[in-house]
Amino acid sequence: MAALLELEAATKRFGGLTANKDVSIRIDTGEIVGLIGPNGAGKTTLFNCITGYMHPDAGRIVFDGVDVSRTGPHTICHLGVARTWQVVRTFGRMTVLENVVCGALARTNRMAEAEARARRLLTFTGLGGKEAMRAANLTLADKKRLEIARALATQPRLLLLDEAMSGLTPFETAMAVDLVRRIHAELGLTLCIVEHVMEVVMPLSHRVVVLDYGVKIAEGAPADVVRNELVIKAYLGEHYRDRR
Amino acid sequence: MAASSVRTGRLLALAAAAAVAIAYPIPLQLGGYTYFQTVGFLVLLNAMLGVGWNVIGGWAGQFDFGPQVFLAIGAYTAVVLFIHLGLSPWLGMLAGIALAAVVCALVTYPLTRLRGHYFAIATVAIWMIAQPIGATWEFINGSRGLFVPMKPAAGALDALVTLQFAGARKGLAYYYVGLALLALTLYGAWVVERSKLGFYFRAIRDDQEGAEGIGIDSRLYKVIARSVTAAVYGAAGVLYAFWALAVFPEQVLDLNWSVLPMMATVVGGIGRLWGPVLGAVILIPISQIMSTTLGTGPLAGRGVDLIVYGLIIIVIAAVRPTGLLSLPWGRWLRLSPAPSAPASDIGSRSGDVAARSGDVGPRSGDVASRP
Repeated sequence: MAALLELEAATKRFGGLTANKDVSIRIDTGEIVGLIGPNGAGKTTLFNCITGYMHPDAGRIVFDGVDVSRTGPHTICHLGVARTWQVVRTFGRMTVLENVVCGALARTNRMAEAEARARRLLTFTGLGGKEAMRAANLTLADKKRLEIARALATQPRLLLLDEAMSGLTPFETAMAVDLVRRIHAELGLTLCIVEHVMEVVMPLSHRVVVLDYGVKIAEGAPADVVRNELVIKAYLGEHYRDRR
Repeated sequence: MAASSVRTGRLLALAAAAAVAIAYPIPLQLGGYTYFQTVGFLVLLNAMLGVGWNVIGGWAGQFDFGPQVFLAIGAYTAVVLFIHLGLSPWLGMLAGIALAAVVCALVTYPLTRLRGHYFAIATVAIWMIAQPIGATWEFINGSRGLFVPMKPAAGALDALVTLQFAGARKGLAYYYVGLALLALTLYGAWVVERSKLGFYFRAIRDDQEGAEGIGIDSRLYKVIARSVTAAVYGAAGVLYAFWALAVFPEQVLDLNWSVLPMMATVVGGIGRLWGPVLGAVILIPISQIMSTTLGTGPLAGRGVDLIVYGLIIIVIAAVRPTGLLSLPWGRWLRLSPAPSAPASDIGSRSGDVAARSGDVGPRSGDVASRP
């Protein structure tokens, strides 16, 4: 398989703190990669570097053969990378439909075409019927779905989900897992997901990457990673070993 | 159907508002109260500026205290071209619009790394830089200003081409020119609001990082938004200069050119197409009537109108920060208890009302579009 995204020894420092240290990750086309690790491990920083909100101090980030280490977020979006946010960033004063239309306008200047795509994606993400609501008035679960719909409207090839399921009820989480599976199966997207809920991320991911203090400490199939001593010590905790 | 009756209601509201606006100066002309035509002209001019300011301030969400720089550029460009080349002010207006937009793009691009208060302060800085330039640049006669040379018009058409109206019909003529330009500005803003630009401006206002993540170049679109504002200010500057028959730096660079339209926009409804128009209709006559009625009395020239403005802004900010247009006019005028009715239903009702009561037409019409 061809590498869609390749991080080559990416390092990001904030003053004396090294948020990402020599992180090398490869994501192949068609994969679902889980990115896990304790709070402060550098997962969101890594997302910010990949999507151009920050730039690595050392190392390279290559998307589909293009070096995007110094590229801005809007350009990276046009190359085919979309993301959602840990703290939602929907356009609160715009309607649900307008939010997704904004995303669709990344690929077209024609309003009718953008609206048609937006409506299809709202149905796909289960937001059909809420088109005219203001985004600020949605529930958290719907806001997160709206962010996903808006990201999908930009027609990405790689979708990065930053804790798309945190703060959701078990039922909402199940719906979100189903949505992720359908994005992968029906839309054929490659996904990278940051998640804390092991019951979600392990069955969903083909491969799991574990970060701790900015360093990649493990990588592999979910079943192997959960048995990794370093991962249990740093993140999962002893009780996880007992449960297995 | 509901949607089409909303549309009909809004069109009728628009027609009613247009009829009132067109008819307004005629009885004044017949009765000899031409002063109130001038008040009307100033309302239209400030409404036009407000619609322009709303693009950067309301949609893109970046408060701008310095667009008077572009009003000055428009005014000087057209007057200089008229003096030196005898160019029609209408062609001068096109040149002024173009120059204002280009200069705006050049000076605004470095500012677009800023946002919120910092962007606002930077626009003030640009204005402060423009003041000494306007006061000392010999080519435009520095602080002595430029006068528009009077050329006796050879007829009504010639007067329209050269924008030189004199005598008893001056107020009437400028009122209609102002009305035409306001209509054109509103139409342009209406088109922009529904286009990709309008969506992108509002996306940047609501969440800049989120906007960048879906492919929006926030710096580019902030520049475009402010240049649209600058273009409107440039056009208004030409109109003002030929109405005043002179251009002085301290006059065209007056801070009030941004503050008054901004207040009108906030009072009427920020980020709403008709908000600045409603605000200007309310605010501008206050200062005109006050300065007339206070006359030479003890309160004259003490800025009493500004105190009243301040009070209005305080009340609006405390009671209805989204502006008067955001009030449920449709429900009030119809007196129907429909807080939970579907949006389209409310819309159609306010549309009906708008069709009946002409002078509130555009307001309830706009409410109908944004239930």
